[in-house]
Amino acid sequence: MKKTILFLAMIAFSGALFAQTKKTTSATVGFDATTTLDALPKAENKTVIAEIDTKTGQIGFEAAVKNFAFTNPTIQEHFNEERWLSSDKYPAFTFMGKINDVTKYNFSKNGVYNVTVTGQMTIKDKTNIVTTPATIEVKSGAMIATANFSIVLADYGVQVGNSGKIAAEPKITVSAELK
Amino acid sequence: MPFKARKERTMTWKKKIVIGLGVGILLGGAAYWYIMNEKFEDTATTESAYTVNAIDLIDMFQSADSAANAKYSEQIITVNGRISEIEAADTTVNVKFINANSGSYVIFDFQSKDVAAAKALQVGDSVSIKGSCSGSIYSQLRRAHMISFKRSTLLKKF
Repeated sequence: MKKTILFLAMIAFSGALFAQTKKTTSATVGFDATTTLDALPKAENKTVIAEIDTKTGQIGFEAAVKNFAFTNPTIQEHFNEERWLSSDKYPAFTFMGKINDVTKYNFSKNGVYNVTVTGQMTIKDKTNIVTTPATIEVKSGAMIATANFSIVLADYGVQVGNSGKIAAEPKITVSAELK
Repeated sequence: MPFKARKERTMTWKKKIVIGLGVGILLGGAAYWYIMNEKFEDTATTESAYTVNAIDLIDMFQSADSAANAKYSEQIITVNGRISEIEAADTTVNVKFINANSGSYVIFDFQSKDVAAAKALQVGDSVSIKGSCSGSIYSQLRRAHMISFKRSTLLKKF
């Protein structure tokens, strides 16, 4: 009886370790639109929802626009206002995509995997295809995913003007520990 | 008008324009400097607009999210509740209160000076947390509402 319970517990434990979908609600996404003229348009959102299906390679990210935290109140206000991200009307950023050639990787084994991800980024109700290299480290059942890429704000209907104080192609950094 | 008087009058106008421009530049510069160096106040010393129970807050967003967003977004709010989940990474920690029935949740990230105190918390602790409410989104991935807070501070552990 004890052996059966131990066996079932082991199955349950290994199932949790290698569950097909890894999740977090605490991924961090950084937004950096700084230029040599202005160091302020830079923010982080630390409550981003992220999921990776290790079998199919499906990836999803969802972020509340209003939870991007800037150090400067005025810049944060501008970021959320109508001519910029219009966060009252479009409250979320989403990225839904896939790890390319997912069958090449065995995510049940510890290791560092350099992958390429392609998906649809939706900001302000405008969707564009984004392809980026990413790194996934598998460690004791958890996945630590990181990626760095740029987006063109004009592609999402955001006009930054000609002042040179806001980068037209801000850097996006993604960091997530999924379990 | 004699030439000398006319010249003095012109000089007076020129002086006024120069002084006006100087004052304008100074005021503009001061306003720019103020905006560029402005920072958010410490949440711990900022007064709460509302104090609510975590599960009640989730219920309000679930039942009428437009009204709840209009009322609570960008407000400093104190939330009391029992911690359902803690998600920690190297330099960050987020505390969550979850409605077990719907899966909807409130999540707090902390000011950098409050991260150490938040890291000492445990699931099941009853706490009071104050933060800047960012409102809610409905997550297609989680099929639930997420109500997020930024720049939070731990007020009390009961």
